[in-house]
Amino acid sequence: MSGYDRALSVFSPDGHVFQVEYALEAVKRGTCAVGVKGKDIVVLGCEKRSAMKLQDTRITPSKIGLIDTHVCLAFAGLNADARILIDKARLEAQSHRLTVEDPVSIDYITKYVAGVQQRYTQSGGVRPFGISTLIVGFDKGDTTPRLYLTEPSGIYSAWKANAIGRSSKTVREFLERNHKDGMDREETIKLTVKSLLEVVQTGAKNIEIAIMAPGKPLELLPVEDIESYVKNIETEKQEEASKKKGGRTPGTGTAAILTRPGGETGGAS
Amino acid sequence: MEVLLGITGKDFTILAASKAAMRGATILKSSDDKTRQLNQHTLMAYSGEAGDTVQFAEYIQANVQLYTMRNEVELSPSAISSFVRGELAKSLRSRSPYTVNLLLGGIDPITQKPHLYWLDYLASCASVPYAAHGYAQYYCLSILDKHHHPDINYEQGMKILRMCTDELKRRLPIDFKGVTVKVVTKDGINEVEYDDSKQVISA
Amino acid sequence: MSRRYDSRTTIFSPEGRLYQVEYALEAISHAGTALGILAQDGIVLAAERKVTSKLLEQDTSAEKLYILNDNMICAVAGMTADANILINYARQAAQRYLLTYNEDIPCEQLVRRLCDLKQGYTQHGGLRPFGVSFIYAGWDPTRQFQLYQSNPSGNYGGWKATSVGANNASAQSLLKQDYKEECSLKEACGMAVKVLSKTMDSTQLSSEKVEFATVGKTKEGEIYHHLWSADEITALLKEHGLAKKEDTETG
Repeated sequence: MSGYDRALSVFSPDGHVFQVEYALEAVKRGTCAVGVKGKDIVVLGCEKRSAMKLQDTRITPSKIGLIDTHVCLAFAGLNADARILIDKARLEAQSHRLTVEDPVSIDYITKYVAGVQQRYTQSGGVRPFGISTLIVGFDKGDTTPRLYLTEPSGIYSAWKANAIGRSSKTVREFLERNHKDGMDREETIKLTVKSLLEVVQTGAKNIEIAIMAPGKPLELLPVEDIESYVKNIETEKQEEASKKKGGRTPGTGTAAILTRPGGETGGAS
Repeated sequence: MEVLLGITGKDFTILAASKAAMRGATILKSSDDKTRQLNQHTLMAYSGEAGDTVQFAEYIQANVQLYTMRNEVELSPSAISSFVRGELAKSLRSRSPYTVNLLLGGIDPITQKPHLYWLDYLASCASVPYAAHGYAQYYCLSILDKHHHPDINYEQGMKILRMCTDELKRRLPIDFKGVTVKVVTKDGINEVEYDDSKQVISA
Repeated sequence: MSRRYDSRTTIFSPEGRLYQVEYALEAISHAGTALGILAQDGIVLAAERKVTSKLLEQDTSAEKLYILNDNMICAVAGMTADANILINYARQAAQRYLLTYNEDIPCEQLVRRLCDLKQGYTQHGGLRPFGVSFIYAGWDPTRQFQLYQSNPSGNYGGWKATSVGANNASAQSLLKQDYKEECSLKEACGMAVKVLSKTMDSTQLSSEKVEFATVGKTKEGEIYHHLWSADEITALLKEHGLAKKEDTETG
């Protein structure tokens, strides 16, 4: 009966802010979202709950939201919380345009989102946001893809690829094994779908893919396209499995094990 | 001596605005763009007090874009006209009102019908088939009265616009440095090449 | 143990859950059933009135169905007092939008306004969440007829047919069984009566125990909404042979 996890945002004697840690649990209960950077592209993938028979498919709120024409956000956690946070980010993006006549940089809007999340861990009488977000996009006149992660605590960090939500650890480990620098469009999308398939057993109908490229509007991949990616991946897996059964043939077994990219960025969990 | 013109047709709205930026009797710039795109299908042209115009137009633009981002749908031209009129009415009774006159042209994203609204700094708002602000009213409305028809196509619209700008060149005492012309169709907003080189001599 | 995280304000439990919200949902599952069905040419909302007394004035007390706007109505399940606050808020939001844009507010936006407010009560200082779920029926030019449901957490979704309140699981499965994509408003009304009669405690329905409302289009193409009078409900019940005995005798 310590009580340090009851009052909102108070340190416990051993230095925990329990409400923030519990908020992370809410994130883990959310559906999985993945972000992967390629050479000049960045892809978001989301696990999508299958629609029930009586649901109106026109109106199912998406896990992927557009902050401005060049910035996109995917979240894991409480849907209603995300709606509020996304709305705040959209307001900031437009207000930024009005005051400095430039669209927000991805870095700036990430700091803003993380800042809002931080404020809700330290102000009186509020609980933290129960969401983590992946923010992707391209700065104005730049072709470097950006991918950031924000957490309920207000931490933000830049990534080559990462996952949030349910089973994100599995997906992240998969990405660590398979991500390489300078992937083209096809490779990036494929890796995103493949990593999601680690946790999504039901295939294309439960996957949502959004693609951003410099100077282009957000592209949501149609279900048929996702399906063909899934099919390709499955046949590849089968081929690999049959090859393994037939004993090791030189030169093929290493295809799945790629060199780990650069030094691992520590810090954020 | 700023010129704003608007013409609707069968499936388009044309807006034209003079290119001269003036301060008193001096022309500071001859390539000024007095229009702002509000969303995919709505364009606003403005004239009036120099600082006010841009400030007000950008404020409206930011708000309309915020609406688009928040709701993932676009406001119709008619909804925007009501919003802008409301903002002008609020401003009119404030300590420092905006002195801005506007033409708002667009295509309704649902019905695909063209719309044009005439608004002034006193917060009047009227839906019209063709419109002009400033001195252009005196010279052009009669031409538009005579030649305009709701079913005209784009070429006919441009022809009428040419008649208007020729008449302005003929009669206006000050050179307004030609016009920027933009057209709104269901596919979006496009700037049109408009030849201003011709000299028109009055009788 | 769980008592530690479920009293006072809405805070996260160690598993990352919001117990206050879950308890609010629990409260709603004891309220009278309400359901909505989307048809080709309109939407029907129907609700069960839990407590009726002979002394209650019939015509002035719509308990569960409310008009929000010229293009939208809603059904309520849960704490009526909380619902009144939210309905008032929604009506104001709708009128404010009408004043600004001279157009009716799009359905999803009105639902979202309300849900943003509900969300606020799950996050901000010391307040309990609203103890109501809503079913909304409306029309707008972008998406035509639409049916929504929202709950205390501030989540919402679009539905073809849905139910809230007591027995909503069985109502939902009945709807799933009977729903046809191309049904007309008239068929939808019939289905609503049938589902209600099966989920309510008493086998015989009467106009005192249920409320009905529809959104539809007139022949001239105008949108109308209509809260049914007792006579209309009785007529519908009779048509489907579900009316109370004395009614059939007197009629």
